Amino acid sequence: MNINHPITRRESLKTLITISGAVAFSGVSRFPLAALAQAKAAPKRFIVEGVGQTQAYSLKELMRGVFDAAGGMTQFVSKGDVVAIKPNISWARRPELAATTNPQVLEAVIELCYEAGAKKVRIVDHTIHDARRCFAITGAGMVAKKTNADLVFPRSSLMRQMKINGHRLNVWPVFVPLVEADKLINLPVAKHHGLSSLTLGIKNWIGGVGGRRYALHQDIHQTIVDLAQFFRPTVTLIDATRIMIRNGPSGGSPSDVAVKNTLILSNDQVAADALATGLFGHRPEDMGFIRLAKRSGLGTDDLNLLDQKRVVI
Amino acid sequence: MKAQQLVRIRRISQTVFLLFFFFFLIESRLPHDVFVDYSTVFSSEVDLEINYPVRFFFQLDPLVSLSSLVSGHQLIKGFWWAFITVIVTLFLGRVFCGFVCPLGTIHHMVSWFKPTLKGQSMVRANEKTPSQRVKYFLLITVLLAAVLGLNATGLIDPISLLFRSLALAVFPGLAAGLLELSEVMALSDIKGINSLSYGTEYLVQVLFGFGYKAYQTAWFIGIVFLVILFLNRIRPRFWCRVLCPLGALLGICSRFSILRLEKNQEKCTNCNLCTKSCQGAASPRPGQDWDSAECLMCFNCFSTCPEDALTFRFRWSPLKLNKAPDMGRRAVLAGLLGGVSLPLLGRLDGQAHKVTDPRLIRPPGSLPEKEFLTLCQRCGQCMKVCPTNVINPTLTEAGMAGFWTPHLIMTQGYCEYTCTLCGDVCPTGAIREFSVKEKIEGPIKIGSVHIDRGRCLPWSGNGPCIVCEEHCPTSPKAIYFHKGLVTGPDGKEKLLKLPYVDLKECVGCGICEYKCPVRGRPAIRTISAGESRSLENQILL
Repeated sequence: MNINHPITRRESLKTLITISGAVAFSGVSRFPLAALAQAKAAPKRFIVEGVGQTQAYSLKELMRGVFDAAGGMTQFVSKGDVVAIKPNISWARRPELAATTNPQVLEAVIELCYEAGAKKVRIVDHTIHDARRCFAITGAGMVAKKTNADLVFPRSSLMRQMKINGHRLNVWPVFVPLVEADKLINLPVAKHHGLSSLTLGIKNWIGGVGGRRYALHQDIHQTIVDLAQFFRPTVTLIDATRIMIRNGPSGGSPSDVAVKNTLILSNDQVAADALATGLFGHRPEDMGFIRLAKRSGLGTDDLNLLDQKRVVI
Repeated sequence: MKAQQLVRIRRISQTVFLLFFFFFLIESRLPHDVFVDYSTVFSSEVDLEINYPVRFFFQLDPLVSLSSLVSGHQLIKGFWWAFITVIVTLFLGRVFCGFVCPLGTIHHMVSWFKPTLKGQSMVRANEKTPSQRVKYFLLITVLLAAVLGLNATGLIDPISLLFRSLALAVFPGLAAGLLELSEVMALSDIKGINSLSYGTEYLVQVLFGFGYKAYQTAWFIGIVFLVILFLNRIRPRFWCRVLCPLGALLGICSRFSILRLEKNQEKCTNCNLCTKSCQGAASPRPGQDWDSAECLMCFNCFSTCPEDALTFRFRWSPLKLNKAPDMGRRAVLAGLLGGVSLPLLGRLDGQAHKVTDPRLIRPPGSLPEKEFLTLCQRCGQCMKVCPTNVINPTLTEAGMAGFWTPHLIMTQGYCEYTCTLCGDVCPTGAIREFSVKEKIEGPIKIGSVHIDRGRCLPWSGNGPCIVCEEHCPTSPKAIYFHKGLVTGPDGKEKLLKLPYVDLKECVGCGICEYKCPVRGRPAIRTISAGESRSLENQILL
């Protein structure tokens, strides 16, 4: 039996319960299985930066290039996997305002996952605004329909108290579909943030928990590092096709947006964030969460320790 | 046409209309289609649309149209449906009550199901009584009060009452119960029961919406509904006979009806089966004078009479009127007195005319308070459709005159920045239709926020927090920071980002209050001052 596949009994129900944008889950997994799988083998760490330089570059081509540089999507997604993708679609804002993950990036990743043989791809985010509005306005709903991915509607029955075992967080309600997937892809958008100064991959995990999550802001750097340590994604892919350089995290004006046409892929959460920090003209060591993450051994901000690649099209 | 066929047609018609009512009620929600087209997403904020005519029953109801006309001087959207209802009633009598009205149908079913009254006691219960004049008293009261500026019709209008009861009390109650049940079933080790729990959860979501809904005073709305249902055990269709103001209005119209009950005294054996089955207590027995104003046109008497002594026939002599509705002089006088008193009493707590309760935050697009009270039916459409559950019935916030009108409770939800649904569904235009653009670029504001520095985490030196600023949807943001030194609990000074409110930018959506991590009483709170609908209730020049 595949220990990473605790979902069989609800798969039988799938036809019954797949509706427009909402899939009912059970979610009684007792511990983070995805993390277990991670612990088995420590793969070589890498970081890929993909940049689209030509005027009309194809985002899908760039995405493929980035994943190919890391050995192809099959390195991360195996046949029959259930893949959870954690974009940042928390705000009911139009895609060009850069408050949310670019729907075209989302679409390209999902297509690659299915190509690699994924059984099901789920778009999972505990949104801040009403989820139905977020799905519609950010374009995630459209992507789900186009690519046949599931949109998971966040609700209290999908939140389960779980042991985080962090420095600051002990037990916290977690959005279950994230931990019961076989593979987890973190797909944040790179943005300015009023408190943590930037919101990148590590900060994206706020959208993976429920409960009194706005209280986390009182110790933002440590709590998000705790969460990143708990979730441990298969890969982190930072969408920096366009970034929000001020008034983050929600913005609201096109003047807050800068176009970078960049994708950053890494299996080291800290390294991905460190590289993205450069896009804003900041230094990684100035970011509190990167310092803390490094100290707790989550990853490194020294990119020279990693297998570095750059893809330009 | 044979009598039995008529009764069968009536039952089918009642079922169909009741199902339509349920359907429109369920569809009064944020559309489930999240898969909107890419191009529209990219072009602009799309105005939401509900794809079904969810206001239909309110448009069919002449009392809603009439009270809006005499009170708010507005012809509501789709009023001509009500006009059709009146025309039909003028020719055919109260067929609306017998064939269409969903509340009437529910009463009919409750009365019919294993009645407590049997034989002679049922015959006695169906004799006409003076209490049936009460409905005329209520009709005159609410209409006169509406003319004088307080439209309280919706409190007792059958369509508003039913919608409010079902949407705010019955459905949320059922949904909560089913969700609890599914959670218990989810704990089961038996696969079948376990699977069933997901099925239940799914069903609840489709029918009743996502998550638990809560409405202020919903328990009271529910009890009123239960009591009205229970009254059917005392007398069948008690509500329709004694209390319904719409029934009274249609009863007055039915005087001219050309579809009349004809009685044949010779054939009658005084078996009283007609009275026993009469839903309206309209004196169907030969020898009595038929009350067209009380007759619900259920055709039960026609169908049960074993001697064929009763028939409904068209009689083309419009000049020969039916029996006048038995209003009673006292009911009329009391109605006039009540109608004058209500708006005056409604002013006495000062709301709307003197002071404004800071908690009275009306939905976006609401008319100025005085006009609002001339149009609002208190039906609960806006509360049902609101995706965040922020719109709630008032208890005291709007004064007694505004009891059960909508207002926003920001600890329960917040006003979604790009949502316009409450204006789309309001049957009378008390909340006018408005666009997303009006919400984002102005002029619509529903209130303003203020920071409670004693509770705010940075201001009180208890630590950093930016949640209100982070969630503020306006651009530029209405909440901004200045860095400042505050003394923490340990006596040391800390440099923290301290939030301030820019009242010019704040629209009062309340998401900051809803998301504020300071529980109990949030550190940032919304009040109605600054609402764009009022010239008086302002803060800035």
